Amino acid sequence: MNEILLAEFSTPGKLLKAAEKLSNCGYTTYETYSPFPIHGMDDAMRLKHSKLGWIVLCGGATGLIAGFSLQTWVSLHYPLIISGKPFFSYQAFIPVTFELMVLFSAFSAVFGMFALNKLPQHYNPIFKSDYFRKVTSHGFFIGIDSNEKGYDRDKLRDLFATLDVKHIEVIEDDE
Amino acid sequence: MSTKQLIENDIDAFDKFGSITRTLFVIGGIFSFISFILFFFDTHYFYFSYLTTYMFFLTLTLGAMFIVLLQYLTTAGWSVVIRRVPEVLMRNIPLMLVLFIPIIFGMHDLYHWTHLDAVAHDHLLQIKRPWLNQVFFFIRIILYFFIWSWISKTFFKKSVLQDETGDHQLTLDLERSASYSMILFALTLTFAAVDLVMSITPHWYSTIFGVYIFAGAVLIAFSVTSLMYMYLRRKNLLKDIVTVEHYHDLGKLIYGFNIFWSYIAFCQFFLIWYASVPEETDFYLKHFEGSWTFVTILLCVGHFGIPFVFFISRWLKRHLVYHACMVLWICFMHFVDLYWIIIPNVAPDGLDIHFMDITLFIGFSCIYFAMFFKNLNKVCLIPKKDPRLSESLNFVNF
Repeated sequence: MNEILLAEFSTPGKLLKAAEKLSNCGYTTYETYSPFPIHGMDDAMRLKHSKLGWIVLCGGATGLIAGFSLQTWVSLHYPLIISGKPFFSYQAFIPVTFELMVLFSAFSAVFGMFALNKLPQHYNPIFKSDYFRKVTSHGFFIGIDSNEKGYDRDKLRDLFATLDVKHIEVIEDDE
Repeated sequence: MSTKQLIENDIDAFDKFGSITRTLFVIGGIFSFISFILFFFDTHYFYFSYLTTYMFFLTLTLGAMFIVLLQYLTTAGWSVVIRRVPEVLMRNIPLMLVLFIPIIFGMHDLYHWTHLDAVAHDHLLQIKRPWLNQVFFFIRIILYFFIWSWISKTFFKKSVLQDETGDHQLTLDLERSASYSMILFALTLTFAAVDLVMSITPHWYSTIFGVYIFAGAVLIAFSVTSLMYMYLRRKNLLKDIVTVEHYHDLGKLIYGFNIFWSYIAFCQFFLIWYASVPEETDFYLKHFEGSWTFVTILLCVGHFGIPFVFFISRWLKRHLVYHACMVLWICFMHFVDLYWIIIPNVAPDGLDIHFMDITLFIGFSCIYFAMFFKNLNKVCLIPKKDPRLSESLNFVNF
């Protein structure tokens, strides 16, 4: 049976400190939750740079090539004379190529973000907690899953106790 | 290090640029003299070459003015520590007025519409005569420079005054005047671009031309701002104040405005290419003649392609050596851009680089930056009592 240890902190500063402490103790896959982005949290959690940029680059390049080659193909295989211009008028292809590049980049940004965040996720035991309801307005939380390497409920309780924690709750996941 | 300490060690030390000012004045003097001698060999070409260099520095000065206005208009906090260089750059407006004098002498060479006998036989130019005549041209030029000096003086004076008094009301005043100053700036820059550059080809017109010059102006101003702070950094000034975070943001703006320039340049070309109306295509036909085609391709690849691919990365924008190389390349490309607009009118057969293109540019830039350092000598290197200073000092990119 899985469980999640949920610790609540009263300020973003305390949350940042707690995250730093956890990283120093060797925890890597815990989650922090706050109503707004906190400066320095990426460093505190030792998060690597997101791979999203590379995904968007691939998406954009695909859109660029697809847009340009589609127009080249159709205008050469279904030739129409438009205001006396050559069939292969690359100047005219640029706007559509550009738009398709933007469209594909946007799609890969959105869906790449979904994939990296493992969305959509229909169930998360953390929502069983009543404390967690204020995470969108004024709650600052750390959640550690029991699958985490070196997870020890009592040791973590002691650790959080030194970090000025507001509440600690253990959420049992009976799925 | 605390803010207080930084300010005392680094910023209040005046008169640090005395030697470079003198050196630049001497080199500038020598190269201006060489250019003056070359003037007698090819007077006609000289004026076009001069206008190219003049436009390079006019766009730089006006772009710097735009940066300052923009920061006040958007009440930006991050940019306070990088505001002083654009402020001093825009103080070169009086210098640009003085250096306008050669263009007055060269009007007959530069502007076809000043030849009244030619205009008499030219229906289109007769229609345009209410706008394109010498008297109104001078009135407009005086008006532009009057507005520009007024804006640059107001914003520079009040910002420097705040260094002493620390009065927050000054920031609020400038934020208010930034709104209408920006409108005046947009109108004057557009009409100046039309008068000085577009009217070289008086039959041709493009309604986007002012925006095109504006895009280049902002690009060059951000680039030179970045370069100047790197120069100060090499002299061990502002090392802990203008950090890599600020360079990163400057890099983003340079990148963005480079794409903006490409967008505008393509829009201008695209509509004219599509419509294929003779009076409009005239301009582009000149630029696809002979070796000018090569310069056109160079602009597409060098002004758009290379920065687009190589300056996209966050790592590159934060690596100061690469950042400096890319910014220098963009400065060069801005010059090529203006060269490509202006010079085909005097060398229609193909690319024709004269020795005086180089001497004029070196002479002009030395005098320009000598004046810049002379003005920078008199002020603090950052607006040290700006109410948003601490926001700027602690600025971090996500």
